Amino acid sequence: MKAKRRVITSASLASAPRTPAPKRRPTVRRLKSAFAPVSPGLTGPRPVVRAVSAAAPAVSPETGADPAGEIDLSVDLGRGLVVRNPVLVASGTFGYGIEYGDVVDVQRLGAICCKGTTLRPRIGNPTPRVTETPAGMLNSIGLQNPGVDAVIEKYAATWAGWQVPMIVNVAGESVGDYVEVVRRLEGVPGIAGIELNISCPNVGRGGLQFAIDAGAAGEVTAAVRRATDLPLLVKLSPNVADVRPIARAIADAGADALTAVNTLSGIAVAPTRKKPLLGNIYGGLSGPAIKPIALRVVYEVSQVVDIPVIAIGGVTNLADVLDFLAVGAVAVQVGTAIFADPTLPVRLVEELGSECRTRGLDSYRPLIGTALPKRAGAPSARGVEYRP
Amino acid sequence: MRLAGAELLDSREILPDQWLQTYRAPDLTAGVRAGQFVHVRTGDYSGMILRRPFSYNTVDQVAGTLTIHFRTVGRGTDWFTHLRPGDRIDMLGPLGRPFEVDSRSQHLLLIAGGLGMAGVRALADEAIRDGRQVTLLFGGATAREVYPSSLLPDEVEYVVATDDGSVGHHGFVTELVPQYEAWADQAFACGPLPMLRALAGLAASRSHRLGVAALGRKRGSGKVVPAGSPQARKKAFLQVSMEQNMGCAVGACLGCVVMSTSGTPQRVCREGPVFAGDEIDWEAGW
Repeated sequence: MKAKRRVITSASLASAPRTPAPKRRPTVRRLKSAFAPVSPGLTGPRPVVRAVSAAAPAVSPETGADPAGEIDLSVDLGRGLVVRNPVLVASGTFGYGIEYGDVVDVQRLGAICCKGTTLRPRIGNPTPRVTETPAGMLNSIGLQNPGVDAVIEKYAATWAGWQVPMIVNVAGESVGDYVEVVRRLEGVPGIAGIELNISCPNVGRGGLQFAIDAGAAGEVTAAVRRATDLPLLVKLSPNVADVRPIARAIADAGADALTAVNTLSGIAVAPTRKKPLLGNIYGGLSGPAIKPIALRVVYEVSQVVDIPVIAIGGVTNLADVLDFLAVGAVAVQVGTAIFADPTLPVRLVEELGSECRTRGLDSYRPLIGTALPKRAGAPSARGVEYRP
Repeated sequence: MRLAGAELLDSREILPDQWLQTYRAPDLTAGVRAGQFVHVRTGDYSGMILRRPFSYNTVDQVAGTLTIHFRTVGRGTDWFTHLRPGDRIDMLGPLGRPFEVDSRSQHLLLIAGGLGMAGVRALADEAIRDGRQVTLLFGGATAREVYPSSLLPDEVEYVVATDDGSVGHHGFVTELVPQYEAWADQAFACGPLPMLRALAGLAASRSHRLGVAALGRKRGSGKVVPAGSPQARKKAFLQVSMEQNMGCAVGACLGCVVMSTSGTPQRVCREGPVFAGDEIDWEAGW
């Protein structure tokens, strides 16, 4: 048994047998029919949200939540990646999990997505790399990292001793890069999963980002899927006209979960007005400013795929978490808000538990998907206005 | 590193658009050394998502108070000026590596450009407490922006240069440095990047002319200390406190880097903000 599966329970093993991804995933039409009419408050519409008996204390469903008892906040993100609560920290905002150790109890997080990791070391972009914008920030770090081998050498042993699963965020310039990084991560104790950052230029295809093309996104996902048995999350880019075909291609290629969304492309102007502010000119916009866009993407994506969707984009309080759950996310990642309030993710876990207790729920799952259309029918005509 | 509340005790506009605020924050003053900083959260969280880094300007570890000195340059700093005594804000600190004074250094030359005073001010207190002699060179645009000498310890020799000659030396503060470089055992600077770059050049040529590359590099001392380590910094003639747009201030986001001569970006918040002058690649244009 590989150490990376230390969060696996016998129940989740039974429910998630380690079979290779089927060549043909269920078609979208079949998926639609899989969305049975749901009465909100009874059960989540997403079959992927499985209870984990070991993590969930026995609470009688008839009597509702025991006020003193634990609320079941655990969720299976696929392939046995069971997180104890649905509050993750986003890649690039939490380093390698050790930086905030003095002020945050990292073991209480659902999972940590580490800084983007590439095959070779990268020194990143020229400065300035970050700047504040209204209700958000722009960053263009340029994937500065010491390379996958150094990351494993420096941090994996520490992670292996942790209870909190570490999801390594992987970036690359070609399909081969991604596959090689993932191969090196495979089987390393302390690594619980992979999150693919596909918002990188594909050098082999003239610098077109993987994330904006369904074919390229599917191709890189499938290649990584063949290379690893680790739980595989793929991070969607919001910088596309319609994210649904891309999400479907990634799900069909065998991803275990989707993360939505990455940052939005933007620029800022230097105070002198003589040049753009950021050293790299372009930066990624994050923070509360992008929450409505992230909500829209999660809303759309969660209706067209049958794998878990992890929401990210402007989570700053419990209401944001509940919003994202309502539009179909099974978990959230907190990112930029950590810079202002490092203790926020841990506090959100507690607040989500209290919220469930207040509502008399023994699990947060009934909160998922409550704002989705009650019955998924023909492909939605909504959103057609921003198709090219 | 601790996350703690701080209560505003006093807020004064000491110079046009420049404020000096005193906070009571006992949790954030214990063990603080000159050169370190606090990362302060603005209250208007919906609009301003990032904290603001401020150097410890002065620290009173007995009373548990600290002061910060800043110029109002935008919404964030403007927000701080509207705080009233008694208001509580959230600070993360102490952060960063401090100035490292070699135990043999008796004569310290401090060089501050404009608001760079906030970066070296605490070192003047620390050095005088340790019985060292301090000369503080200050450069400002005009007499109106000269840091008041009444806010400095009496023991400090304070020399001023202004760009327009309205008070003190007419010209850049860096032009005063050659008069003191033979006297000084070590120099510590904070200010605009061009000033720091010029000082790094002066420090390099001084080492060349006076025949000492760094303190302690004497006969029989063949020990090699890794560049960028506190030990190496301690032996450097010039130490600079760097500034950069900052995100997390704990080393997680890699937003606040400066390029080092070794070719690897160094985080201002974690490896800095104090660096040896010869540690920084001044021509990198980062």
